[in-house]
Amino acid sequence: MSAPMIYQKITKMIVILLFILCAPWLVLSNTQEEEIGEFFKSGHTNNWAVLVDTSRFWFNYRHVANVLSIYRSVKRLGIPDSHIILMVADDMACNPRNPRPATVFNNANQHINVYGDDVEVDYRGYEVTVENFIRVLTGRLPPSTPRSKHLLSDERSNILVYMTGHGGDGFLKFQDAEEVSNVELADAFEQMWQKRRYHELFFMVDTCQAQSMFQRFYSPNILAVASSHVGEDSLSHHVDPALGVYVIDRYTFYALEFLEKAKPGSKKTMGQFLKVCPKHQCISTVAVRTDLFQRDPNQVLLTDFFGSVRNVEILLNTLSLPNITLSSDTCSKSSCGNEEVSSRNLKYADQFPMPV
Amino acid sequence: MAATMNRILLVLFIYTTTTLNLKINAEVIDDFKEELFIKPLPSGHVYFHFQFTTTWEADFENPKSFEHYRLFPKSLGHVLTTYKVQELHLSQTQGLWRHDKWGYPVSSAPPGAELWVWFQPSIKSLDDTWSELVNAVSGHFCTSLNFLDSKSTAAPRWSFRPHGVASDGYSSFSKFIRYGALPREIVCTENLTPWKKLLPCNTKVGFGTLFKAIKLYDANYHSLGLDVRPVCRDSDCKRTSIELSQSLSVVFDPTVKNNDHQDWSLKKILGDVLSSRCPLASSSKIFVDTTSNIPKSIFTLSPDPDSVETVTRGGEKRQYAVYDVGLQTAEGRVLNLGAKYDNPVQYNDIIPPPIYAQRYITGYGLEQGGVTCVIYNNLDTNLTVIYMETLPWFTRLYFKSLTIVNQNKQVHPYKVHYIPGKDRSRSYHLELVFRLRANSVTKISYKFERAFLKWTEYPPDANHGFYINSAVISTVLPTACNYTSTPQSSSCIESSFQDKSENFFLRIHTETLLVSLPTPDFSMPYNVICLACTVVAIAFGSIHNLTTRRFIKLDPSKKKGLLAKIKAIFIKEKNTKSDEVSEKETDKENETEKDE
Repeated sequence: MSAPMIYQKITKMIVILLFILCAPWLVLSNTQEEEIGEFFKSGHTNNWAVLVDTSRFWFNYRHVANVLSIYRSVKRLGIPDSHIILMVADDMACNPRNPRPATVFNNANQHINVYGDDVEVDYRGYEVTVENFIRVLTGRLPPSTPRSKHLLSDERSNILVYMTGHGGDGFLKFQDAEEVSNVELADAFEQMWQKRRYHELFFMVDTCQAQSMFQRFYSPNILAVASSHVGEDSLSHHVDPALGVYVIDRYTFYALEFLEKAKPGSKKTMGQFLKVCPKHQCISTVAVRTDLFQRDPNQVLLTDFFGSVRNVEILLNTLSLPNITLSSDTCSKSSCGNEEVSSRNLKYADQFPMPV
Repeated sequence: MAATMNRILLVLFIYTTTTLNLKINAEVIDDFKEELFIKPLPSGHVYFHFQFTTTWEADFENPKSFEHYRLFPKSLGHVLTTYKVQELHLSQTQGLWRHDKWGYPVSSAPPGAELWVWFQPSIKSLDDTWSELVNAVSGHFCTSLNFLDSKSTAAPRWSFRPHGVASDGYSSFSKFIRYGALPREIVCTENLTPWKKLLPCNTKVGFGTLFKAIKLYDANYHSLGLDVRPVCRDSDCKRTSIELSQSLSVVFDPTVKNNDHQDWSLKKILGDVLSSRCPLASSSKIFVDTTSNIPKSIFTLSPDPDSVETVTRGGEKRQYAVYDVGLQTAEGRVLNLGAKYDNPVQYNDIIPPPIYAQRYITGYGLEQGGVTCVIYNNLDTNLTVIYMETLPWFTRLYFKSLTIVNQNKQVHPYKVHYIPGKDRSRSYHLELVFRLRANSVTKISYKFERAFLKWTEYPPDANHGFYINSAVISTVLPTACNYTSTPQSSSCIESSFQDKSENFFLRIHTETLLVSLPTPDFSMPYNVICLACTVVAIAFGSIHNLTTRRFIKLDPSKKKGLLAKIKAIFIKEKNTKSDEVSEKETDKENETEKDE
C-alpha cells in the first residue's frame, strides 16, 4: 500500500510544479484571447430601441413614467433619437392635471425628470395601436410614413423592445380598446427574423402576468425578461400625493436604478440586469427566458442592448480621392445674376378679397 | 513615400473643399434676424413673442437655388421642394387666446394644431401630395398631423389667401390650398424639440438659451408657429425670396408665483438670463411695449433701454423700449430684463379690442344641437367679415337653420360658399361674407344633428367627446388699436414700426367646441357575456340536475347524531370493500375465461 501512495504523491507534486511553471503563460494567453474574443463577440453593428407605452388616462401615469425611464437610460447610454421609436399613448407632461407641467417624475421626491428637455415622441396619442406596433416591427408601413416612424433595422441590429401597460394571461391591452396577444407578438418577431430585421432582440415587459407575453416565442436570438410570472400581478411602487396617482412600477423603478449607475462604456452584463428586482423588492417574481438566446447572458454586455457603443476600426491604407472639377453649369458669382427676371412687378396677394 | 503622398492628397482635398466653399458662399445669400417682443397686457399678464426670421434668396422657379443651404434648414427645404409647396403655415397651440382681455396676438392660432398650405401651380395630383405632406410634417414635428385626411381637410375659398407673393389668378384659385386643423392636438416638449432644432443657433446661444420647457409650458397660452412664404426681394419686387418665420408666443401670469406682485423679469419668468447673442443673426433685439407708461409711468424697466421709439401706426401712438442684445451682452455682461411696478397689483381698465368673438354649443340631448357665434364690433364703422367654419361629418349641419341676427334684424350675407359634407368622406365647409354694424353684436347660429358612428370609429376614450374646429373670422380694420401683427412685406417686428398702411388685415380664431355623440357602453359585450353565461349555467344546470338525478327516500324520523354519521362512514367503507371484492371476483372470472 505504501508504494502506490508514494507514487501518487510524487505525481501530484509534479503536476503542481508544472502548473506553477505554466500558469503565467496560460494567464497571458487567456487575456489576449479574451480581448480578441470580446471584440468579435457581439456581432452587431447598430442598436435600435422600440419603447411602447400602451395606457391612456391620468391614472396610468406610471406607465408613461416607465417607458420614459427606459427612454432616458437608452438615450443616455448612446442610442440616438433616430434609432429610437417611442410610442406614448397619452400625454402626462402637459396634461392639465399635472401640477408640474412639462415634467414626468419617476419619484415622489422629484429626483429625475424622465421627460427631460430633449424628448421626441414618434407615435403619440391615438397613433399607438396594435396595427401600428406590428407594422413598425415588421416594417410594413405605408410609403408615406416619415422616416422617424420607421424601424430601419438590418440583420446586424440589436433591438430592445420594451412594453408596459395593463396585461393579462396571454395579452396586453392597448389603450383600453384593443389587445395584442402573445401569439401575434411571437409571429411578428418570427417575421422579423425571416426578414433579417434583427441580430439579437431583448424583450422587456412590465405588466401583470407578463411572463405569458414571451412564452410563445419561437424565433432564435431573443432574450426576454418579464416583471411577473403567470398568475402574479406586477405592482406599482409608490404614490405621489401631489399627483394622486402611482408614479412608477416596481420593476422599472429598480431597473432604472440599475441603469442609472451604468455609463456608456460600462462593463455590466445582461446577467446582472436580469437579476434586478428580486422577490423581496418586486413582490412579483421576475421571469427570464434565455433558451432562445445563443450567448450566455453573463457574457453579454449591458450596452449591447441599452447603449450604442461603436467599435471603431482604424485603417492605415490610404484612399486616393478623385480630382473634382465642377462642371460649367454651376453658376459663379458673375453668372448667377443672369437669372430670368420677370418683366412685370410681382406683388403680394390680397389677403381680404372682398370690398371693404 | 506614403507620407508625401498623404500630404499631397491632403493639400488637394483642402484645395477642392475651399474652392467649393467659395463657390457655395457666392450662391447662398440668407439673412437671419431674431427678435423678442414683450408686451405687458392690461389684464396683468405678460405676452412674450419670440420671432426668428430667415430670408433666403432662393426662388421656387430656380431649382438650383435649393441645392445649397446655409441658415435655412435643409430638412424644411427638402419638404418644400419634394411636395411643391409655395406657402406653408403650421401652428401648434396650447390654450386659448383671450381676445377680449389681451387684444390681438402677432399671429393668431387656434387651440391644437392648424396647417394650411398653398401648393405651387405646377403640381399634379394635389390630394395625394397633401396626404404625403401631412405625413412628412407630422414626422418632422412629432405631431399627429397624419390624421388630416380627406375627412378633415377643406379648401377655403376666401379666408386663407396666400400671405406672400402671388399673382391674382393664382390666389383666387382655391384649388391650390388645403386647410386642416386638429383641435385635440397636444403641444409639449416633444414639439418644441424639433422646432428648436430648425433655428440656426439652436439653443446654444442667443434667444434659444431662454427656452426652458418647464417654464414655457407653465403658461396660460403657448403657441409654436412656422410660416414659409415667398416675399419680395427688394422694393422693386422683380424677384422673390423665401422667408421662414418661426415664432413662439407665450402669455404668462407673473402674479401667480410672485405673491401677487406684478414684477416680472427674464430670470423669474423664463428661468434664465440672456448672456449671449446669436452670431449668425444680423440683428438681435428686444422690444418692450411701454405704451401703458403714457401718460403716467406704471412700471420701470431695468436695465435702461438702448433707445426708445415712438411709433404712430394707423392712428395709434405706441412707444417701444428697444434693447440691442449685442450691446447688452458685450464684455461678459448678462441681460436680465425686467419691469418693476410701482404698486403691487395695478390692473388697467380693459378696453376690448375692435372686434372679438365668442362661440358656444347650444341645445341639449344627444340627437341634435346648435352652434352660436357672437361677434362684437366696437368700432364706429361697419365692418365686412368673412366667417369660416369647418364641421366634421358626424355633426350634420342644417343649412336652412343658419341665421345671422343683428339687433333683432336679419342680416343677409353678401356671399355664401357652402360645401355640404358626406358621411365618412368629407367635412362640412361654410364661408359667409357679411357686414357687421357699428357698435353692435351680431349672432350667427345654426343647428346640427349628431350622427351614429360605427363602433370601430370611436376613439379609445370615446366618452371624452369629439372636437369641432374653431371658426376663423377675417376682416380688415381701419385702425391699429391693439393690433400687433406685422405688415405683409416682412415678418420682422421691426418692420411694423415703419408701417404706413391704413388698412390692417386681421384674422381671429374662436374657441373649439366639444361635442358628445351618442356613445355605446363599450363594457356591454363583457357584461352580456357574463350575464348570458350565468343564466345558461343556472338554467341548464338546474334542469340537468332535475332530469338526471335519482331521488332516494330518506326517513326523516331517524335522528342522525354524531355516532350515526361515523357509522355511516364505516358502512360506506364496507360497501366499497365488498365492491372491490366483487370486482376481484369478476376479474378472476374474466381471467379464467380468457385462459380458456
